Amino acid sequence: MIGSIVSYIREFARREWIHKFFFAKTAPLTTPVYSRGFPELTGKTCTHALFCMMACPAPGAIEVIHLEDGGWEPRIHTGHCIRCGLCVEACPNGVLYSGRILESMFYDNTMLSFSFRIDVDTDRCMGCGNCAVACPVNKTIDAQMSHGGRASTDELLLKVSEGKCVVLHPEKCTGCKTCEQHCPNEAIRVARLLEAVHAPEEEL
Amino acid sequence: MSILQSFKNLVRSRSIHVAYVDVGSCNGCDIEVLACLAPRYDIEQYGIYVHNNPREADILLVIGAYTPGWEDKLQGLWEKIPDPKVAIAIGNCPISGCVFNRPHSYVNPPVSKHIPIAAQVPGCPPRPTEILQAVLSLAPEVFKDYERRKR
Repeated sequence: MIGSIVSYIREFARREWIHKFFFAKTAPLTTPVYSRGFPELTGKTCTHALFCMMACPAPGAIEVIHLEDGGWEPRIHTGHCIRCGLCVEACPNGVLYSGRILESMFYDNTMLSFSFRIDVDTDRCMGCGNCAVACPVNKTIDAQMSHGGRASTDELLLKVSEGKCVVLHPEKCTGCKTCEQHCPNEAIRVARLLEAVHAPEEEL
Repeated sequence: MSILQSFKNLVRSRSIHVAYVDVGSCNGCDIEVLACLAPRYDIEQYGIYVHNNPREADILLVIGAYTPGWEDKLQGLWEKIPDPKVAIAIGNCPISGCVFNRPHSYVNPPVSKHIPIAAQVPGCPPRPTEILQAVLSLAPEVFKDYERRKR
């Protein structure tokens, strides 16, 4: 009788069971490798393409800083960044990494491509040519362009002809939106189109 | 250090009562706070209890971008919490307004303009482990030797 009670207690009052009951803890939770954290620098050279800032959906989350030694470097602002990873995908040079985004992009053969569409509201445009003069792409093509935005060459991104602004080569646009800022009538609008492209090599 | 004080420290380290208040978020961070209660993260094994009652809370988790409806309410809610107390901003919204902080929107971030915020957990939403780590690392700083420091 007593022996059975003792064996019963010994069966259920095991030391490791009592220890587990009072000091139970789940295993320390570690961040898994596939978790998209805040983007970090890979150490590759940033070429100031600014695609990260264009793709970013959160206001004030990423800035490209001009360093003192002349280089550029993206800065992520925690508290603004929503960890979507679009800047990592958009960067043409692979400056940032976050989780497994770069690896999965490599295996799936995907990339983000930017294109820009320029819309001119002809009812509002008064042909002042501020946009054509301010455009930094125009400056590299024809540095001699005078005020009024009239020019003889047709290689320009946009110019004024017959009193209205005309977009000639929208594929040359870099999406800087300088023309938008210099338009007095809000007649010109630049739309940034972000496309996810699969297998870009096979299409070419 | 008196025996009473060390006893209080011991008890307080395993009894942290948390209230959370959503001042206008998208509910993403609310879900992450609730995920802390679930067995995978299990916030209660560390002695943290979510009661959602400011009268018995030590830590207030503030979630959201501070919509106008909270202008006369959050301050009163903060004053109802007995000392010692801290507020932690959970997610991007109370820090910066995140994606809601656009021109012509009515939100009024950061929340630290309205009540004192002791810690911030950035992320949209933050992981439950990050919330848990913030509560656990802040609690001893605030509650340890509270009566001795107050004198």
